[in-house]
Amino acid sequence: MYDALAPVAYGASIGVLRDPDHAAEVTQEVMVEVWQTAARFDAARGSARTWVATLARRRAVDRVRSEQSRRDRDQRDTDLRNGESARDVVAEDVERSLEGSAVRRCIEGLTPTQREAVVVAYYGGLTYREVAEQIGAALPTVKSRIRDGLIRLRDCLGVARHV
Amino acid sequence: MSDRSDGGTRGDAQGDARDLLPGYALHALDDLERRSVDRLLESDADARRALDEYHEVVASFTVDTEPPAGLRASVLDRVRNTPQVSSTSAPSGSSGTVESSSAAAVPPADGPAAGGGGDIVDLSARRRTRRWGVALTAVAAAAAVAVPTTIAVQATAERDRLREQSEIVSEMLVDPDASILRGTVEGGGQASVLVADDDMFFRADDLPEPAPGRAYQLWVVAEDGSVSSAGVLSVRDGETASLIQGVEGIGMAVTVEPEAGSEQPTTDPVVVLGA
Repeated sequence: MYDALAPVAYGASIGVLRDPDHAAEVTQEVMVEVWQTAARFDAARGSARTWVATLARRRAVDRVRSEQSRRDRDQRDTDLRNGESARDVVAEDVERSLEGSAVRRCIEGLTPTQREAVVVAYYGGLTYREVAEQIGAALPTVKSRIRDGLIRLRDCLGVARHV
Repeated sequence: MSDRSDGGTRGDAQGDARDLLPGYALHALDDLERRSVDRLLESDADARRALDEYHEVVASFTVDTEPPAGLRASVLDRVRNTPQVSSTSAPSGSSGTVESSSAAAVPPADGPAAGGGGDIVDLSARRRTRRWGVALTAVAAAAAVAVPTTIAVQATAERDRLREQSEIVSEMLVDPDASILRGTVEGGGQASVLVADDDMFFRADDLPEPAPGRAYQLWVVAEDGSVSSAGVLSVRDGETASLIQGVEGIGMAVTVEPEAGSEQPTTDPVVVLGA
């Protein structure tokens, strides 16, 4: 279990956190959670890989957010702009991160605006509202870009569940 | 299927929540939005299915990355001191991908096991021993890795059979009543057997090649001490795995036999797993 799934947890964590120490801590938490709750895992609802990636990303994003609010508290308005730019998603980072991911080919099929919204939300660990602020678009626009983007990715990836 | 605009303009709470499913999968919602989706998921199987799909899309962004080497030991160390949560304590309709509530409120899993397997006295006694749980992780690791690897090198019919087998093993792995027996093989190698209900999944690795004309044969050991053949093991690169279903055994053993196998063991076992 560890050998098969820890690289998934670590990969999902570092995609968001970009810090090996934080990612290792999240991976450890996730693997313990996987162990604890393995009996609840329902294979009919998705692969173990998806399950672990979901848990890991959720924890990683929570960690980004709590770090962010801690920084905000500490620095208040002194260096807010730096705090924001630290979470900016650099295009080259994304290109590099996507190397080897299943979604790489399908990302090309998105419109530039869909792609931007999805990528910023994914790698930045941002909420809809924060995505809207970062890319300078209205909230409903961001919501529909992300929704349509994920739908297009879903169709491209051939993710469809027949029950 | 380009830019859809249904749902967004519907204005009713359910439609709004449905629109938030992609954001839910991305973990990009605020608390209020997330709660509205949680309510939708409770009552709507279609929404749960859609969410499962979005989770899969989001997971496809993940690039598997080898974690730092030291992490394995610390994870296994923590797991050793962590009880598992039984599936029955999960709220109905939830799954791992939706729910990740704390395990703290869940009672320890050593109460009476629900249903099945009560007639195999020895195993149910062993189930209460926490250390088997630890070993389960190790075998889960082995099975998760070993089964698909084997699939990759098999012919189609064999592949289908193995795929089915790996699904059964996956189910066994998440069975809270599963237990695991391990041992060292005389002459080299390690063996383990995962036992869940009436199924046994045996695997071994680092096995030396048997002498020419000889083979490893697997045996199921019954409660009264009698043994019955579970077949000759085919070993590839020192590895072998075998799923035996519908047996009431308390353990397994391996002997070295003539290539064609024997009715009953003719040599002393190289490994015995069980009581």
